[in-house]
Amino acid sequence: MRVGVIGVGCSKFGVRRDVTLQEIAFEAVKEAVVDAGVSREDIELSVVGTAGTRSYELMPAVPVNEYCGFAGRGPLRVEAACATGSAAVYAAYSSIKAGLVDVAIAIGCEKMTEVDTATSLAVGGRGGSYLWEFHQYGTTFPGHYAMHASAHMARYGTTEKQMAMVAVKNHRNAARNPKAHFQKEITLEEALASSYVAYPLRLFDCSPISDGAAAAILASEKKIKELGVDNPVWISGVGYSSDTANLSRRKDYGGLMATVAASRMAYKMAGIDNPLKQLDVASVHDCFTIAEIMAYEDLGFCRKGEGGRFIEDGGSDFGGHIPVNTFGGLKAKGHPLGATGVAMVYEVVKQLREEAGSLQVDLKNYRGLTHNIGGTGHFGWVFVFEV
Amino acid sequence: MESRTFILKHVLPVSRVERYWKGLEEGKIYGTRCKSCGASFYPPQADCSFCYSSDVEWVEVGGEGVVECFTRIQRPPQGFEFAGSGYTITVARFGEFKVMGWFKGEGLPKVGMRVKAETGRDESGVWKVYFVPT
Repeated sequence: MRVGVIGVGCSKFGVRRDVTLQEIAFEAVKEAVVDAGVSREDIELSVVGTAGTRSYELMPAVPVNEYCGFAGRGPLRVEAACATGSAAVYAAYSSIKAGLVDVAIAIGCEKMTEVDTATSLAVGGRGGSYLWEFHQYGTTFPGHYAMHASAHMARYGTTEKQMAMVAVKNHRNAARNPKAHFQKEITLEEALASSYVAYPLRLFDCSPISDGAAAAILASEKKIKELGVDNPVWISGVGYSSDTANLSRRKDYGGLMATVAASRMAYKMAGIDNPLKQLDVASVHDCFTIAEIMAYEDLGFCRKGEGGRFIEDGGSDFGGHIPVNTFGGLKAKGHPLGATGVAMVYEVVKQLREEAGSLQVDLKNYRGLTHNIGGTGHFGWVFVFEV
Repeated sequence: MESRTFILKHVLPVSRVERYWKGLEEGKIYGTRCKSCGASFYPPQADCSFCYSSDVEWVEVGGEGVVECFTRIQRPPQGFEFAGSGYTITVARFGEFKVMGWFKGEGLPKVGMRVKAETGRDESGVWKVYFVPT
């Protein structure tokens, strides 16, 4: 029995000092419920995905759940660092697949701007193994990816200019997305003139610290027929993996093993052997520009080491081999951790339903992918969707 | 409005890897190796994650290392204000072990650069590994 997405919602991303965590979640949930055309009472299970700590609400699932009207139905709280949203979608998906419920909602939400930047860096830097990394060496999240970038550049000749091109593309897309954190285009020169945050990554290589929420309502095929939903987007592939907490225990720094393993699992389930030919759109994890370049390679869009060339040749732009991060990516749309994976589902569902307006891609296969990483390949999630 | 101040400071249980922390004070860096299946661990751990044995031996990490990756942190997080203009986190391979440390040489390291490891305390009193080019 298939599971489909029947409704999606997404808040405005950005520095949202105007709202609490539950209020920003409400924006996304309300939109998703209206979009699905169901009533609040139809939803049997609520999953709240939030990485937490940066918001004053330290045990946020219950306040969010109550505010959104689901007291008594869940909440199941999940956390998988930056892949929290995908873990929430998986929890909703698997509950339906197991036959426990027919309709479930995945709510991803994060308030990140309630603490200052140094505190936010200190939370993110704890994303591996605290004692051996942050405590001793002051690792930061940009630092984790910067270490991968240093290896990728040394081994494959990837350049700072190629990384900046990812930022330029994603800002260009975000400029046309009214929900994006940054709705402005940037030039290659501006990106390359920005200061280093963690060498070799500059400020414009980094996703912003954002507030935001997204929600997706999933239902069983039986329920979809019963409700008469005429535009479900089916989940046809699911893959997950993970890697060591300690970066020093990784075999290699030129890519993310978790992406390779999760994507192969999802491709197998969805019957994909040539992702470039069989997918129309991909929303990939570009928390830093090097992450998107590694994702092209690890997802099989190009050969290992050719990710820099892939962006240079326009392979991931509209009209290219596969448009990637059409709504602006984490880089420019914003990266509220818990929301990100669910916002990727929002993007791909809008694309597959041909509701993406000026950001609409051409559909040939009516199939798209989300790729969500927690930490630096500490968690890896890939979903394939189709209509 | 501002929330009430909330201080989070944890007590770290390090008794099972005490040898490591004592080693740093003596200028030595230790990893562990499982006596049952031979798996090696750095950072050290007292239990084998692969065969579940808790019979591990302490092995000194030595010789020349090769830099695999690095970054220069220009925006230090809370807790590293003492580092001022930043620090260079580096991972180098020493045989069966990969070790994280702060690079102490001039400028930035290079991937493939040969380094040796030293131990020392930073300005906040925390013992750690430093790398210097050979």
